[in-house]
Amino acid sequence: MVGKVEAVNGGVKPTTTTPASSETPADLAPPAFSFRALKLKTKQQELLIRVTILCLVYVLAFIARLFSVLRYESMIHEFDPYFNYRTTLYLTQKGFYEFWNWFDSESWYPLGRIIGGTLYPGLMVTAALIYWTLRFLRFAVHIREVCVLTAPFFASNTTLVAYFFGKELWDSGAGLVAAALIAICPGYISRSVAGSYDNEAVAIFALLLTFYLFVKAVNMGSLAWALASAFGYFYMVSAWGGYVFIINLIPLYVLVLLITGRYSMRLYVAYNCMYVLGMLLAMQIRFVGFQHVQSGEHMAAMGVFFLMQVFYFLDWVKYLLNDSKLFQAFLRITVTCAVVVGAVALGVGTASGYISPWTGRFYSLLDPTYAKDHIPIIASVSEHQPTAWSSFMFDFHILLFLFPAGLYFCFKRLTDATIFIVMYGLTSMYFAGVMVRLILVATPAVCLISAVAVSATIKNLTQLLRAKNKAAGPGKGATSVKASSKASLDQSLPFQRNGAIALLVGAFYLLSRYATHCTWVTSEAYSSPSIVLAARGAYGNRVIFDDYREAYFWLRQNTPSDAKVMSWWDYGYQITAMGNRTVIVDNNTWNNTHIATVGRAMSSYEDEAYEIMRSLDVDYVLVVFGGVTGYSSDDINKFLWMVRIGGGVFPVIKEPDYLVNGEYRVDKGAAPKMLNCLM
Amino acid sequence: MAMSTTPTLLLFLLILPSAILSSDPDSSIVSELLHLQSQSKSGLIHLSDHLLRRLLHPSSAPRPFSLLIFFDAQQLHDKTELRLKHLKSEFSLLATSFIQNNPSDPNIFFADIEFKESQSSFALFGVQALPHIRLVGPEAKDPKSDSIQMDSNDFSNLAESMAQFVESKTGLTVGPIHRPPMLSKTQIGLLVLAFFISLPFLVKRVLSGETLLHDWRVWLSGAVSVYFFSVSGAMHNIIRKMPMFLADREDPSKLVFFYQGSGMQLGAEGFAVGFLYSIVGIMLAFVTHLLVRVRNVTVQRFVMVVVLLVSFWAVKKVVFLDNWKTGYGIHAYWPSRWT
Repeated sequence: MVGKVEAVNGGVKPTTTTPASSETPADLAPPAFSFRALKLKTKQQELLIRVTILCLVYVLAFIARLFSVLRYESMIHEFDPYFNYRTTLYLTQKGFYEFWNWFDSESWYPLGRIIGGTLYPGLMVTAALIYWTLRFLRFAVHIREVCVLTAPFFASNTTLVAYFFGKELWDSGAGLVAAALIAICPGYISRSVAGSYDNEAVAIFALLLTFYLFVKAVNMGSLAWALASAFGYFYMVSAWGGYVFIINLIPLYVLVLLITGRYSMRLYVAYNCMYVLGMLLAMQIRFVGFQHVQSGEHMAAMGVFFLMQVFYFLDWVKYLLNDSKLFQAFLRITVTCAVVVGAVALGVGTASGYISPWTGRFYSLLDPTYAKDHIPIIASVSEHQPTAWSSFMFDFHILLFLFPAGLYFCFKRLTDATIFIVMYGLTSMYFAGVMVRLILVATPAVCLISAVAVSATIKNLTQLLRAKNKAAGPGKGATSVKASSKASLDQSLPFQRNGAIALLVGAFYLLSRYATHCTWVTSEAYSSPSIVLAARGAYGNRVIFDDYREAYFWLRQNTPSDAKVMSWWDYGYQITAMGNRTVIVDNNTWNNTHIATVGRAMSSYEDEAYEIMRSLDVDYVLVVFGGVTGYSSDDINKFLWMVRIGGGVFPVIKEPDYLVNGEYRVDKGAAPKMLNCLM
Repeated sequence: MAMSTTPTLLLFLLILPSAILSSDPDSSIVSELLHLQSQSKSGLIHLSDHLLRRLLHPSSAPRPFSLLIFFDAQQLHDKTELRLKHLKSEFSLLATSFIQNNPSDPNIFFADIEFKESQSSFALFGVQALPHIRLVGPEAKDPKSDSIQMDSNDFSNLAESMAQFVESKTGLTVGPIHRPPMLSKTQIGLLVLAFFISLPFLVKRVLSGETLLHDWRVWLSGAVSVYFFSVSGAMHNIIRKMPMFLADREDPSKLVFFYQGSGMQLGAEGFAVGFLYSIVGIMLAFVTHLLVRVRNVTVQRFVMVVVLLVSFWAVKKVVFLDNWKTGYGIHAYWPSRWT
């Protein structure tokens, strides 16, 4: 299993490889080409070391995400995962066909929700498959345990895919470093801790898998790999709405290759197969439907598809014509015609409304100031805020410094694969700057590029170390960190060696600081299930607040089973999953008017609110108050958003009515409307 | 006959103009205001002390029009947190939209008044702080107490919210606000035409491999700039319109360049940190690419050591800044107990 894209540093030192520390496995990758004569033992040793390191990284990725399970208990965190859990439960209890055609009357009362057609089923189906497999092997697990541990399991799988991707990009050493880096990178851990049973847990694995398979297909030009990448894309589409990133990045990559003159048959085979098959497969998901041919977000892929056909056609004509001047004229005419026809078709499609424009969610990435003014629901989510540099530092630490160095190395050795990773890295970094949540998508790219930098640097340094009394500088002078002139350096070799040793020590220190940072961040910042809160009591003892779950359990036990509960949309999923009662609005936020009705009820005077609630058949109202414990994200804090969203639809609710001199006060001196409203 | 009619004619001639003048003073004021409005490009009438006195003369109440006055001060235009220039342009947008939607409507006039020229008017209205916009209704007698002040909530959504204020207080409809597009129609047409004409030439050059796009150095510098833009949090600064630096609250003469507290940052801070990030990678590229070509070994070694020291300093600086900013104390994690 030796990668084809090994480093071409031909100066092989046939010494036995010394194992490095398990945290920094980047210093061993002797190419295997020249071991044909003998030294099978070394090759086996090297294979053993690589497999060991990969196993250790796999286990590390899993256990680094288990902090909250050890500290609290094995439960599902946050709000959205509860919906996923409920649907997975339904899937395992009722079967796939019931799940696929499910209409839920328990949420969004009285409208109901077509769950089968409005979710991405990848995560639920995956967890259900794992559950059924374990059950088949006679392990009596509860579906909740499977759900909680799905995310760390797939994070470990992602490290494996990162290894193969790194091997494809650069060499197996870079692959090992990439696997180790991505195992503990906080940007990824934040959304894949145990208990965070959300789409991203599976989606990042699917994303990296699709990209790896596509790059492999482009490198090999084989139909089998392209087919695999189409299936990878199908898995991604079934898992997360972020598949739009893939379907735009890959055409952009193909376009860049075409522009820089790297058109080849391999690219043609890979892209065509992946696009056509991937599109057909993606249309099987009800939520996506016909968007691949109708939505503006997917048009880039179609445009590039047709452009590829034009390129192939031109290539064929060139081969037939054998006359360059005639061909040039023909070329100019054809390409102009093709572009004009494409533009006209796009224009007609958009103008006639057949091709829908970019939806608000994705348009706000291109024009970041759009959401703030026009869509308050999107603007209010804290994850959608633009990123300050401290967030980058928090989530990436050392990798940010290594990123430009890695970019430089990739540019020095431009292949189809390195062009891809550079594009992925840059586009995802730009989007990560727009929205904090998208740091997650940038993480694999940053880890891979930094791994290239680390691997190349450390390899050169260790080669310097291992160079005995050979004259002349290191094998590839341009890529060595310690610059050397062409003259012989016999007397300066010890200086070089000491310098190399110092730099190696520095590099290891840097990487160990990275590991420390990641562990601290994971433990302190990303391991809290927001449904259970902990604080330090007066004597330093730990006090646990389980108020949320106790409240939902109370609902479940003490209210009639057809009771309707009105609350703000944050808690909808949890109430249906744990309290098992019907809610008016929940986190899906698909109907803005319904949410605005609830907002209006919360912020009107009690008698008006009573009328609204009677019309909705509400029996109970659930509010969250954090004043006694100092919990700061309660409903009083969110109240102004209720007013804004309600006021967006019902002009009778005006935000200035609730403010005193432009200030939001909730004490005795608050505005009279504020004091007398339902909240 | 002639002798007796001349004095009456003279008297009549004398009385007539004054009768005309005094019979309809309002309409002359209104026509004068309409005239001034049509002359000004921004739709705002520039008021002076004198003009304001005439408009607010007690004898002319009830006036047939309302007056919305924007109080301005040239010397405060530089203070970015007041956003005076921006508000003034929004105010004039409101005025021009109103005029466009309701031509020659004499019910409301939009005016601005400058502090240096008309200090006494500011005192008359009791204006202490800017920005300040006041609505003087038709029945208002005393400027200070009878006029309605637009408060900061109505500024928040700029011209749209100002229009709402006008509509709610005066009952007049402003109509839709006409914002000028970024490029005018002719400019867009010219651009499209130029693009289509140049298309065949561009394509030919791309295929022959001569364009700037084929040089990998261009792509590399583009890549580094995208990285710099992203990592320095420039997007955050653009969206939130953060200033480059703030004045220290305790000591207004000192400037604060770095914001303490995670989640927000200032303009200069972003540039400084982005520079520190990029410098490490760029220096590595410099060393491996350019320094190799230098012949003199001592020079090479010296530059190497300098580069190493600078990189080390840059990384240390960023880590220190991050710890100061967020207040986190990151340490190795050896748990002492299970909880």
